[in-house]
Amino acid sequence: MREELIAYLETEILHGEEEVLAEDDLLGSGLVDSMGMMKFIAHIEEEYEITIPPQDLVIENFMTIAAIEEYVKGRSS
Amino acid sequence: MVYLLQHALEQSADKYPDKDAFRCMSQRLTYGELERQTNNLARALQNEGLQKGDRVGILLNRCIDTPVALYGVLKAGGVAVPIDPFAPVERIRFVIADCGIGLLISNNQQRRALQKLDLASTQVRAVMGPDVSLSVPNVSWSLVASNGGSPTANTMLEHDLAYIMYTSGTTGTPKGIMHTHHSGLAYARLSGNLYGVNANDVVANHSPLHFDISTFGYFTAPLFGATTIICSDAETKIPNSLAQLIDKEGITIWYSVPLALTQMLQGGMIHELSWSSLRWILYGGEPFPVSQLKILLAKTRNARWSNVYGPAEVNQCTYYHFDASTDLASTIPLGHIWGNTDMLIVDENDNSLGINEQGELLIRSSTMMSGYWNQPARNDKAFLSKENAPFEQRYYRTGDLVTLDSDGLLHFEGRKDRQVKIRGYRIELDEVQSILDLHEALDEVAVFVHREGQDKSLAAAVVTALPHEEVKRTIRLFVASKLPSYCIPEKVIILTNIPRTAAGKVDHRALVKLTEE
Repeated sequence: MREELIAYLETEILHGEEEVLAEDDLLGSGLVDSMGMMKFIAHIEEEYEITIPPQDLVIENFMTIAAIEEYVKGRSS
Repeated sequence: MVYLLQHALEQSADKYPDKDAFRCMSQRLTYGELERQTNNLARALQNEGLQKGDRVGILLNRCIDTPVALYGVLKAGGVAVPIDPFAPVERIRFVIADCGIGLLISNNQQRRALQKLDLASTQVRAVMGPDVSLSVPNVSWSLVASNGGSPTANTMLEHDLAYIMYTSGTTGTPKGIMHTHHSGLAYARLSGNLYGVNANDVVANHSPLHFDISTFGYFTAPLFGATTIICSDAETKIPNSLAQLIDKEGITIWYSVPLALTQMLQGGMIHELSWSSLRWILYGGEPFPVSQLKILLAKTRNARWSNVYGPAEVNQCTYYHFDASTDLASTIPLGHIWGNTDMLIVDENDNSLGINEQGELLIRSSTMMSGYWNQPARNDKAFLSKENAPFEQRYYRTGDLVTLDSDGLLHFEGRKDRQVKIRGYRIELDEVQSILDLHEALDEVAVFVHREGQDKSLAAAVVTALPHEEVKRTIRLFVASKLPSYCIPEKVIILTNIPRTAAGKVDHRALVKLTEE
């Protein structure tokens, strides 16, 4: 899952111009803007067949690829 | 006596030393601590050779270091130049060269941006803040703290420059809007009085330091001893976290572009939040979609709303207050001219117009810029001088077309030029156009605004021999290397020729039609 998330982010949102590590701060670093984040979240919902309720759409769950992976795994299990 | 922006901070530090001046995420700075840290930084800047009037760059994201940097520069007698750390390297280097920045303030988080800048090849001779090694000497924040003390006295007066904010120009390079201590403080006083800002207020600052909306949180709030909450970059990207921040911090005054508010609405969480602390919600930068505004009004029955209007060149110049009980029209008026401000509505020959006649809005105000940095030709065009013996009054040409109705309310009707607002960002279509015109593989280019429902985005029509699948990427990379990311056309159409009017001008109406199909 981690590789898929990174690949999607790198190709679809960052257009292959930046490399992302699992622990990179996606939100504070300026890597992704708010529109990009919305696109990423829509992809996660579709790809992993989950609906993310509003109360889960918070910084703690989306700060890094690692945090997203942990959140999605927690939801799927 | 308060006649310099830093006097406001000094006064509040004296009155409320233990009160929080700024908070960001889990970090806080009391007025007393901010006073100490800004003294230290000012002294450290002077130790690095800063002279009165020297421009100092502030390359920081939304973080707790920003108020320290801003007031530290002012106390040292310098001129603060906030720079977007996420802007392209070329644009940052342009700003450094344009206003001759010798000292830069930053932090470790900006390490990547600082290294890309290759500072040794610029005029920057030292960077304050980071403790990572760079191509020019650096003075870490801890060193700033230990070598500090009080800044040496300087001879600044109210008409000395305080800060320069860069905004898009039409020619492909940004222009620096110069504000003095006088215009900055006039804005802080007028806005503070208009919204009754006091020491019990908790002000949300959503805008980064390099946009003029930030002057409310950074200048107005400290003048009245209020607490400013700096929304972090992370919070601005996750609307539900931003919506929670209002309850968590007990925000009493919110100020942002409409997009931040509509994103919180769409986040779907606000019905679970109380938002009862809000007493004012201010928005500016562009019109608010009324359908969404009405839902937000129903959520904020105890708050008053205010449409804030004014180009960065004049800070603010009009306001329109309303609340849940106001019978709203389909567009919200710009409203009334505020204090110590005059306006003219003129036709193309600078003749004054009457009620309901559409013309350009000209503003004379105590909050007005002194001009654009190092742009004498542009400054001649930016102002209209009117003799009002024994004085000469300067009016700033806003470029905005307005009408004044019989109730004395101003209404926005459009732009005189090709400046647009998309998601709150001020974009010069001609600037994007002039950049794309430089690309050798693009034979013809026309930049325009594409509308889909209430959503606006930037679009480009091109004539090119490039393989079609490469065009969008080529354009994106080229613009991204020169302009902020919000200037990248999201929609690209490839044509065999650009539609033109009989006179040979680009037919924008035909272009808009093409993208609708």
